[in-house]
Amino acid sequence: MKILVCVKQTPDSTVRVKVAADGRSVDASQITWAISPYDEYAVELALERKDADPSTTVAVVTLGAARGRDALRQALAMGCDEAILVSGQGAETLQGSAVARALAKVVEEAKADLVLCGRQASDDDQGLVGLALAEALGWPHVSTITKFAPADAGPAGSFNGIDVWKEVEGGHEVWRASGPAVLTVQKSEKDPRYPSLPGIMKAKKKEIPEKDVAALGIDARAPSLEIVKMEPPPARGGGKILKDGDMKQTAAELVRLLREEAKVL
Amino acid sequence: MKVWAIVERSASGPRRVSLEIAAKAKELGDATAIEVTGLERYSSLPAVGPLATKAKADAPDLILVGATPTGRDLGARLAARLGWAYASEATDLAVEDGAATITRTMYAGKVRATVRATLPAVVSVRPGAFTLKSGAAEPVVESVTADASAEKLAFQRFEPSAAASGRIPLAEARVVVSGGRGLRGPENWKQVEELAGILGAALGASRAVTDAGWRPNEEQVGQTGRTVTPDLYIALGISGAIQHLAGMTSSKVIVAVNKDPEADIFKVADYGVVGDLFEFLPAFTEEVKKAKAGA
Repeated sequence: MKILVCVKQTPDSTVRVKVAADGRSVDASQITWAISPYDEYAVELALERKDADPSTTVAVVTLGAARGRDALRQALAMGCDEAILVSGQGAETLQGSAVARALAKVVEEAKADLVLCGRQASDDDQGLVGLALAEALGWPHVSTITKFAPADAGPAGSFNGIDVWKEVEGGHEVWRASGPAVLTVQKSEKDPRYPSLPGIMKAKKKEIPEKDVAALGIDARAPSLEIVKMEPPPARGGGKILKDGDMKQTAAELVRLLREEAKVL
Repeated sequence: MKVWAIVERSASGPRRVSLEIAAKAKELGDATAIEVTGLERYSSLPAVGPLATKAKADAPDLILVGATPTGRDLGARLAARLGWAYASEATDLAVEDGAATITRTMYAGKVRATVRATLPAVVSVRPGAFTLKSGAAEPVVESVTADASAEKLAFQRFEPSAAASGRIPLAEARVVVSGGRGLRGPENWKQVEELAGILGAALGASRAVTDAGWRPNEEQVGQTGRTVTPDLYIALGISGAIQHLAGMTSSKVIVAVNKDPEADIFKVADYGVVGDLFEFLPAFTEEVKKAKAGA
């Protein structure tokens, strides 16, 4: 089975994000870049499949700025077999459904049986590209998954369909895909693995071919979301702190405040 | 202007967020409430085809879906099928001159953005973004029959979460009671559940708690979990990692209980209690019970 994982390089989730002076973008000088968290779970799930069946190949692709190469290097160090960078003029500003069409070309060229994406990127939080990619390929998708496994034990290396665990309210639905599919990942059961030292050494030596987005021959026009304004979330703080009291009295006082002042009880 | 609201149904009727968007659609113009019928369980391909066909024929300017797991799945795939603009998790929306101006969070809640989408567009709307006026008439819902022949997946079974609260979906709850590592172990959630029960609240959890397997993943609030915007968010024994704060900082009123006065959660709290959670929680539950009984 060949799995292609689509990753996006986004600001590291542990750092603060500052709005830039133009009020319409984020301050890039403050950013440490990383693989978007949901995409990292997708890499982990793909690699777990490879652990279980070593005949599985895992390729990883990113589309955007050339710095995305670092995200790919990280995925290779985690254990992915190959990496593809789609970059060049216009790649960074390509909008959701056009990104999906470009990725569809990569999926077709790679002859992948299965595509994994994070459920949404941690920058625009849209959750569009994975599903639009399935649409561009004419494949079904299952969103917000936490696990997948081969549906039936077939000959090693062949693709006989998969069972997919989709997180829904109150539990998981298990769906079977008997052909190729796009899965968007909510979470992996295990934390994404850290690259091993041999993994890092191997990843350094691997070639990462770069495709020019313009050479993919896609229709780059797509409805866009124009950013009018960005601002930090409304400031909070200066709240009332209750301490040093008897907890019974504190509890009674808090209930009073929630009823009379905040009016939420 | 023609606006569609896609209605989702739960066992007890249309979901609250569906009523909210249906009311908003009416406010925006010529509204139609639409429900996909004929599916025992939602699946995208059978639902999207007939909706897209109808959308091409009726040519609505805007399609609203609730930002629920189903709404976000359907909305994105439908937008892709139609080649329309798409925005997810809108917290506000206005229409002017053939474009929708949408407020939504980005960077996992760390940035609030105003974006503009040229119509036609599909927008998923966060539960609670538009308040439902009391006494608002329930919308007349038109049904669109799902196309079973478009299905490429086969449903196998449903596996309920071992510790599923089974009460109120987190995304739609007006009150959320969340627990963190300060609760020391899954056995102490009985107390959290009792409080949540009295408040009619959904249960939430910090990532530390879901990662430790104390609570199911679906209860995780924050980056890589759910973003919630209830009227009241109660954080019990949660220190307030930046990823957690991103997921709940837009709640109207935040209460935090923690023994560490330096905990970051207090930076966003409207009311903070510094002290022993296990002394506070039973006393607070008792007081809430009294208050509710008196109300």
